[in-house]
Order: sequence, then structure tokens, then C-alpha cells
Amino acid sequence: MKVPDKVLEIAEAIRSMRIRGAGRIARAAAEALKIAALEYSGPLDEKSFRKYMAHIADLIISTRPTAVSLPNAVYYVMYRLLTSHGDVNELREVVINTADRFIQESIDAVRKIGEIGARRIKNNSVILTHCHSTAAVSVITTAYRMGKVVKVYSTETRPFFQGRITARYLLEAGVPVIQIPDSAVRYVMHEVDHVVVGADTIASNGAVVNKIGTSQVALAAHEARVRVFVAAETYKFSPSTVIGELVPIEMRPPEEIVPREWIESHQGIEVLNPAFDVTPPEYIDAIITEIGVIPPQAAILVLMDRMGWALSKLKQGEIGKIFFEETLEE
Amino acid sequence: MGMEYLRKLGFYLMDTGTEYTLKIINEARKKFTNITDYKTLFRFYEEIVEEVNHERPASAQTINMLRDLGKTILDGIYENLSIGKILEKIISSLDFWERRIIEECNEAAHIASRRLVDGDVILTHSRSTCVLKAIEYAKKEDKRLIFYTTESRPGMEGLVTAEKISSIGYPVKLIVDSAVRYFMKDIDKVLVGAEAVAVNGAVVSKVGTSLISLIANEARVRVFVVAPITKFDIETLFGELVELPESDWRRLMSPDVLASLPENYIARVPMFDVTPPQYIDGIATERGLFAPQAIPVVLKDVYGKWPPEVPELDELVKKIRVIVR
Repeated sequence: MKVPDKVLEIAEAIRSMRIRGAGRIARAAAEALKIAALEYSGPLDEKSFRKYMAHIADLIISTRPTAVSLPNAVYYVMYRLLTSHGDVNELREVVINTADRFIQESIDAVRKIGEIGARRIKNNSVILTHCHSTAAVSVITTAYRMGKVVKVYSTETRPFFQGRITARYLLEAGVPVIQIPDSAVRYVMHEVDHVVVGADTIASNGAVVNKIGTSQVALAAHEARVRVFVAAETYKFSPSTVIGELVPIEMRPPEEIVPREWIESHQGIEVLNPAFDVTPPEYIDAIITEIGVIPPQAAILVLMDRMGWALSKLKQGEIGKIFFEETLEE
Repeated sequence: MGMEYLRKLGFYLMDTGTEYTLKIINEARKKFTNITDYKTLFRFYEEIVEEVNHERPASAQTINMLRDLGKTILDGIYENLSIGKILEKIISSLDFWERRIIEECNEAAHIASRRLVDGDVILTHSRSTCVLKAIEYAKKEDKRLIFYTTESRPGMEGLVTAEKISSIGYPVKLIVDSAVRYFMKDIDKVLVGAEAVAVNGAVVSKVGTSLISLIANEARVRVFVVAPITKFDIETLFGELVELPESDWRRLMSPDVLASLPENYIARVPMFDVTPPQYIDGIATERGLFAPQAIPVVLKDVYGKWPPEVPELDELVKKIRVIVR
């Protein structure tokens, strides 16, 4: 089965993390499905086309096993294909249109989250954010334009310093930003009114998987009775957690923390670099999605509403992943 | 060994509290020789006090040492001692402080080491002379331990701590400051040093310590602080707040990294923070391991009276200044 070069390129870019960030990965996945449909050159029967698309879908999902936005984007498009009927050209149109719609919805989601989230920010607020999240930045800048934000604390976010990206975006929008080291979160927390962070994955119980450090920011906020808002598109909700699958936490290379020479000259020291941590739902006041503000405990409702199809498939197979090529027998 | 890379990360090895006091003692010893008049003597003393107030205003041990030094000077003036005689007393006081700081740090470390038991997984933060000493004692007794150290930004002196613990002979795992809560479930005890201990039992230590203690508390992991009694900040008795110095981007990156960031980039970099007493299980001193709430009892024991009759450093400096003029 011939996979178009452009699709392979996108797959490789996701795998090597040249394409990063949950939103960008999701949109790239939808784009890859669209390209695959456009460039389909196999036999013009419905069955062959479905088989080809299922193969592509599985290939894309396999590139980053831990990113939830990726399979969710694929489910979104493939679900429409699985439930549509027609000849190859009609099915091709379905894939293209659905992929386009997903991409547009994903872009709109950031703006909507900004608008909805900004309403939850009080006047004269000091906000603290961790790492870099497009959705969180959208909430902060929208609130700032409404005149509600006095100051933002942004953590540097070791080891990759994504906080510097946040600082750049916020400064460009004119928002006063002060960068702090990750260790200073509790030190400044008494000045803070809201914590606004993004999410990598949201589990069915409302637990939020996000950049390492998020859970201790949320704990420090909880201690100081500062509200914690998580800004997240609905495609960050993980269907497989409903059947008890754990969200795998990626251990990244130690060279991201200290240079290779240092590691080699310190053989007795093991450098551990977990990329994410889990914030329990009791430390989260609200999850701000493009469909509204929800308490973390209502995550399951979002999943049932938005991912119902994937849920029933996962329950049927009792597996953490859907293999589209296996769904073809129906 | 990747120093250029570390420089970009803002690596900077600050003195530990103990190292700092010893450094000031040495400086003072050099200064207080060949002085022939009270005025110079006082000027040098005031200079040292100012330097410490500027560099390490929270270093209770140094402040306590300087208070003692001031008392020696004042008593000498009251007793009409010759300048040579006062200098003699000052030098012997400095020698005494140098010895006691090392001995008491060792003794506090010894007591702390008794709390480390076979199989313990210990988390430490920043770099503390007395904590490292406690780890050496544990090794001497062949205790089987595993250590986690944070890289401890700003400064990243956690790298040096990891290196030292590894050279003592223990396995070490190095993590970023943000990963403390992720690993806390694997930790049995947190062991840290202190810049100062307030009379209510609050502990001033490297920034991040209070967050770690909060996380430990959440996970029901015990937090131990190693702090000889010379680190107890008597000034807080007079309602004085511990002054916590802050730095800027210089402790986070090199100038070339700053140049790559937006022009209006601002960083706020606190160097210390305050851990409230309720998050601390024990403070190991040379006189024993105490609950933070028991500090008044300890101080009463040390000074024979509660509250202890000690002059405020600022008052002392003012008094000497008036007399010398």
C-alpha cells in the first residue's frame, strides 16, 4: 500500500517532535489524513479506500503513543468515514471536509477558550502560568485586553524553558510578565489571584496531565486558596482512561537537563527527566474548554458527549488503542 | 566539562550558610590586625556589618557572630581596655566562633544522621555543609541510603551536591525542581539545611525549600532541617522580619541568553524562602533534635532566660558609633 511522501513527512515530524504541542500535533494529523485522501491512487472501490485510510490512521497514531490529541484527531475524522457511505470520490470528500472542519474547530477552540476563560478572571488580577500553552495564553491575553490583568508570573519551566516562549508571546501582546524560577512558585503564590495552565491530556476522572511541575503549582495554589484553571480543548480528553488505562508519562533524555559531558563524568548520578505529571482533580477549580467551563469531575460527560464512538470501541476491544485496520471486518 | 553550557543555565555556586560565616570570620581576622585607634576599629566593624547586611541579610549565624563581636568591642570600650587588648579579645572571639561553627555543625549533622535508617530514600535541596556532613556520618555507619537531589535553580548548586553525595559513596538521582511532587511518593525523608531559623520555628532556606516541604507534607513524608543553634535568628524575637534578598536574570542565564530574549524581559529571582513550622518535623541541632515549636525552650536553655537578653545588632552598632565619636 503506497503511503504518500507528504504523509510520511508529517508522521516523521510528529515522531521527532519537530511538530510539538497538542494542538499542532492534532491539526497535523488531520492534515495528513486529508493529504492521504487527496493523493489516494489505489483501486477505485470503496473497500480498498477504507483499507488504505485505516492503514494511514494507524500509522499516524503510532508516531506519538503518549499524545492524546493525536488519536483524538484521527478518531474525529475516521469516525465520519466509518459512518459514511458512497463511492471512493464521495468518501474522499468526507475525509477532506471532516479534516478541514477539525482543523478549523481546533483553531476556533483557542479563541473560544480565551473568551470563555477571560470571563472567569477577576479585575486587577495577578496570574501565574506554567510552561507554554496556547490556550492558557489565549485566556490571559483576552483577559488583559479586557483590562483585568495587572501582572503575570511565568515560570521558566525547566528543562526546556517553555516559560520563555510564554513570556515572549505575552510581552508581544503587551502583558506585563515576570519570569520566575520553578522553585519560586510558593514564594510568589500569596500575590497570585489565579493560576491558568494548559493541559496535555485530561483523564476521565478530571485529573490533568501536563508539563512536569504543574501538579506542584496547583498544590501551592490550593494551599494559598488560589483558583486553578486549566485551559484545554476537548480533544485533550482521553477516551482510553475511561477503561482504566493509565496515561503513560514519558521519560525524556537526561541531556535535556545537563550536558552529556557532565553525565559522562558523573557515572554515579542518574539524571531523571519525566516530561509530565498528574494534577489530581481536587486541586483544579475548573477546566475551560471551547464548549464551556466544566468542573474536572464532569470530564466524563465531555468524553461521553464528544468521544462516545471511540469509547464504545475501546470498551468493546478492551484495549487502550483503536486499530482502524481491525475495524474493517464489520 | 560542559562549563559553557552550565554558564548558559546560570550556574553559580553560592557559599553555604556555614561557608559564608567562616568566610566573614576570615575576612574579619585579616581586617582586625594592625589597628591603632578605636575609630578605625569601629569603621572596619561597621563595614563588615554592612557587607553582610547587603550580601546575606538572612544569614542568622553571621549576624549572631557579628553581634557577639560587637559586644566584645563595646565591653572593651566600657572597660577602657587598650586597643591592643581589644584586638586580642576580638581575635580570640573569632577563633572561638570558627571552632564552634565547625564543631556544632558536625554535632548537629551527627544527630541528624541518626534519623537516617537503612533503606531510606532521602531528598535534599540546594547545598548545605551540615547536610553533607550528616550524609558522611551515615556512610561511616554503613547505612544503605539512596539520594535524590534537585538541581536547585537559581544557581544549580544541586549539581555540586549530587557530585559530593556520589563521592561519599551513595547512589544519587538528579531531578529538576519541578519534578519534586512527581517523585515524592518514592521518598522517605526530606533533609535540608537552613540559612536561619526564626524563633517561631519557621525555617529560612534556599528558595524552593518551602514548596518541597509543602509537597512532603501532602505526601506525609517527614522533613528534617539540620541547623546548629547559632543559626537561630534572635532578631526575629523583636518582631524583625527576616530580610530575603532577591536577584535577577543573572542567576538564571548568561548575558548571551538574555540577548536572545525580548528586550523587556524581566525575571524575579528570590534566593531564599520561608518554610512554616507546621511543615517541619524536626530541627537537628548540636543539643538534640527538636520540634520547631520547641525553639523557645531550646533558647531558654542556651541563654538561661526567656526571652534571651541579647541586644539587637543595629542597636549595638549605634551604641558603639556614639561612643567612638
